Amino acid sequence: MTRSLRAPRSQLLVAAVAFLLGLLVVVQIRAQSGGDRLATLSAQDLTLLVGNLNADNDRLRAEIAGLERQLDTLEVGGTRGTASIAEIRGDLERIRVWSGLDRVAGDGILITVRGPISAPDLEDVINELRNAGAEAIAIDDVRVVTGTVIGGTPGDLSVDDTPLADPFTIRAIGVQESLTGSLTRAGGIVAQLAATNPNAALDIEPTDRMTLPATDRDLVPDDGHPRL
Amino acid sequence: MTTVVRRLRAIPTWQVTLGIALLALGFLIAAQLSAQGPRIRYTTQERTPLVETATELQRQQDDLRRRVTELREAIAKLEEQGVGTTQIVRELNSELEEARIAAGLIPLEGTGIVFQLKDSSLPVPEGADESDYLVTARDIRTVIAELWLAGAEAISVNGERVTVSTGVLDIGHTILVNSAYLSPPYEIRAIGPTDILDQLGLSEGWRDFIQTRRGTFGLDIAFAEPPVVAVPAFAGSLTLRESRAVPSPSPTPAAP
Repeated sequence: MTRSLRAPRSQLLVAAVAFLLGLLVVVQIRAQSGGDRLATLSAQDLTLLVGNLNADNDRLRAEIAGLERQLDTLEVGGTRGTASIAEIRGDLERIRVWSGLDRVAGDGILITVRGPISAPDLEDVINELRNAGAEAIAIDDVRVVTGTVIGGTPGDLSVDDTPLADPFTIRAIGVQESLTGSLTRAGGIVAQLAATNPNAALDIEPTDRMTLPATDRDLVPDDGHPRL
Repeated sequence: MTTVVRRLRAIPTWQVTLGIALLALGFLIAAQLSAQGPRIRYTTQERTPLVETATELQRQQDDLRRRVTELREAIAKLEEQGVGTTQIVRELNSELEEARIAAGLIPLEGTGIVFQLKDSSLPVPEGADESDYLVTARDIRTVIAELWLAGAEAISVNGERVTVSTGVLDIGHTILVNSAYLSPPYEIRAIGPTDILDQLGLSEGWRDFIQTRRGTFGLDIAFAEPPVVAVPAFAGSLTLRESRAVPSPSPTPAAP
């Protein structure tokens, strides 16, 4: 009698534990899949993320519209049998300006950096400008391109092996309000620097019609080859 | 001795099964708790629509990037076809190909190195800053900068090509590269010389980074040197709203 009662109870117990086990395995796998990482963000961070994604998606849509126009023109040129030299030249100019191979002019901001700033802090300023949509950046007369690295110690910095004096300047071409707003917002890079390094200061000035130099670097790789 | 064996054999099977299941259960609960340790979970009502919006926008972004890549490939093909017999078009196309490679608009492969960065599995001591135990945007930026110094020619982070416009940003405890939301582990691929690892080892900045981030805070930093490292093309926008070209001192071929 006792035995017949114990058997179903034990089976129920095993079933309950197995259920819990299965549940936890699923939760654990989902937590590690990465998608759940959004669950770690606060509402404020999520708002920032959504704003960032929205802005980038708008830029991508504009890019697609431009590329589709370019493709149409090329296709029309191709069917007429005429060379699309103007199209190719326009494409080449755009890529060379964007990547820093050619000089570029436009409105933007001029930042004067005074005092002993560290290389990571200066990297942070450049990173912030990129995030704010800067289209071209130069530190003194060195164009910031892919692979540009800031080195040295505070007061003795160099960019791509060119020493920086005190003060030195950063010029960034882009929408002036966005660039200034991003740097000077509450908790932004200017506020962070003021709190952590009061001896360094950034003066920001909207400036029209700046001309930034082309890079001296050779950006074509030796070790890498186009993947076919 | 024989009594112990006899007693062990007397234990019903269901008890053994239950014992093993409970052991696994305990292990999973511990794993779950430790995984949630440094990261706070928010459960406010306004979050759910925000999470859904962010997920949807990220999905849209993936589609838009795919479209950008398709269009760029189609344009490159048409431009190459052009009237390729004329000297001017051949020269322009050759320049264009070189500019696209320089800009990161073409996928590359070559020798190099691959790093993988994961959050620390060490328990966060009381009063310590939990973000010190997580991979941050600054960690990613440091690895990228050190790789450039060591001779890297092309770099990607979780499939996002690092270009002139690439920003690496912390939002909460997540990282955005080229505005794409990335999940750990972070895989940083770099094409460069075969001695890139030796070059990294010579850098004081790299040694400090490893000592602090791996040694002190326990970040999981692993690397591999596969025979071929592949880096994808940049799939973002080449935004030039305020910029205009200035005639360059090194002229492009003139029209006939």
